[in-house]
Amino acid sequence: MSEALSAHAIGLSSDMAIMSLLALSSYLMLLVGRVSFGQQAFFGLGAYAAGVMTAMFHLPLLLALSIGMAIGALCSWLLALPTLHLSGLHYAVATLAFGEMARIALSGWHWQLSTPDGPVGPAGIDGFRDIRWLLENDVTPGAYLALTLTALVLVLAVLMRAEPTRLGIALRMTGQDPILTNTQGIGVAALRLFTAAAAGAIAALGGGLYAHRTTYLEPALFDPMLGVHAVGYALLGGLGTAIGPLVGVIFDLGLLEATQLFAGWRMVIFGGLVALFLRWRPRGLLDEALVHQISQTLAGFLLGPSAAAAHPANSGANAIPLKERP
Amino acid sequence: MTRLLCHLFKIVALANLTMALPGPVAAQTSDRPQVGLECVSYGRGPMLECLIDLKRRDGTPLDNAQITLGAIMPSMPMAHTIKPMKAASTGRPGEYKGTLTLEMLGVWSLDVDITGPVREKVSRNLLINVCKGDARCAASPAKAGDKGPEPGHGHGSSGHKH
Repeated sequence: MSEALSAHAIGLSSDMAIMSLLALSSYLMLLVGRVSFGQQAFFGLGAYAAGVMTAMFHLPLLLALSIGMAIGALCSWLLALPTLHLSGLHYAVATLAFGEMARIALSGWHWQLSTPDGPVGPAGIDGFRDIRWLLENDVTPGAYLALTLTALVLVLAVLMRAEPTRLGIALRMTGQDPILTNTQGIGVAALRLFTAAAAGAIAALGGGLYAHRTTYLEPALFDPMLGVHAVGYALLGGLGTAIGPLVGVIFDLGLLEATQLFAGWRMVIFGGLVALFLRWRPRGLLDEALVHQISQTLAGFLLGPSAAAAHPANSGANAIPLKERP
Repeated sequence: MTRLLCHLFKIVALANLTMALPGPVAAQTSDRPQVGLECVSYGRGPMLECLIDLKRRDGTPLDNAQITLGAIMPSMPMAHTIKPMKAASTGRPGEYKGTLTLEMLGVWSLDVDITGPVREKVSRNLLINVCKGDARCAASPAKAGDKGPEPGHGHGSSGHKH
């Protein structure tokens, strides 16, 4: 029983780490002012690509994940090109439509190889089974959780390292006011294309890790609800820092789902909270103002009041004007 | 930032190179066990009771395996986390039985995780339909496009009662 519970904890932690990657990809898009309901498509494409690479071409996992990421980035960049000048609702609907296009395309994709255990490969709506890299290489669920967490920490480190840089500031500026950002000499179009590609790669990485954890895929896994959840996690957790989406995931999967708190009412509670946050705290729990306050307090605590005043976080050099809240 | 991405790319490329050298080789002759699965749903939850028949490739029963049953809903991946349960031997050679408590009716993907003498994982999509009263209804394999129980179909989709 305790072994089963431990397997449950490992499975849940893996799910949270994988979902965090998808939420981080939505977070990146939201940073540049794009509400994308299509990130699940890149998650799915990454999952299928990485699965094909290990199950059919017998490539090593890291190489398969990298190829999945490259495909996710390329597809996301290709989608970003024609949608570059769409905004708001039009962009959201375009990404939703792309997500469904990708899912339906995967439903029609048949490509299988014969093996002693039967055909292996995507079989349309029946899915893609026997992605057995972990089993064939004796990777335990615990070791795979460690790999998944490493991937998440790496992505998080890159995003957090980028936050105080010129690129990070330009991303937030683009999200706040793209026209003003353009007048500052920052190429908003190039920035949005770059962000879309990065977000696609992160979602695809999550997908590749998911495919190998579950060993099977089917197009139904990548329906719009997955993308909506990813946006919800980022909006709930907050857009002030890359930690925000993780807070959203931990709240929903780690608290509501794992503890079965509110049981069948979980989705109602989660949806209601997102709606309330959109009204009262539109940039989530960890918004820019709260993150600034926290960093100020931390700097004061760690460096002392005088040093904290000179800390870049408090100098105003990196401060970004926020839109007035409703 | 660009420099950071370049470093990251180099690390991944290096890791790939080192991993690519030994490279995993897929088994040409399979020693995967045969996994037979029959499930019935009943009661509130609903409960899902599964009988697993484990055989070696040559058809001999496979005993002393540790089997864990888990389930996810394909329509809501990572959103419904059912606590995995161990399946215990029934006493018959190669036969194990385990019960899961599902959260709702609909299409569930059942994972059978096997460790011990062999390591294997199989997943089957099952359609869990309405099962009234004390009846035990066969959980039939979900067909492509199945979404969930249809109104008015009170028993298992196969109509077969145990």
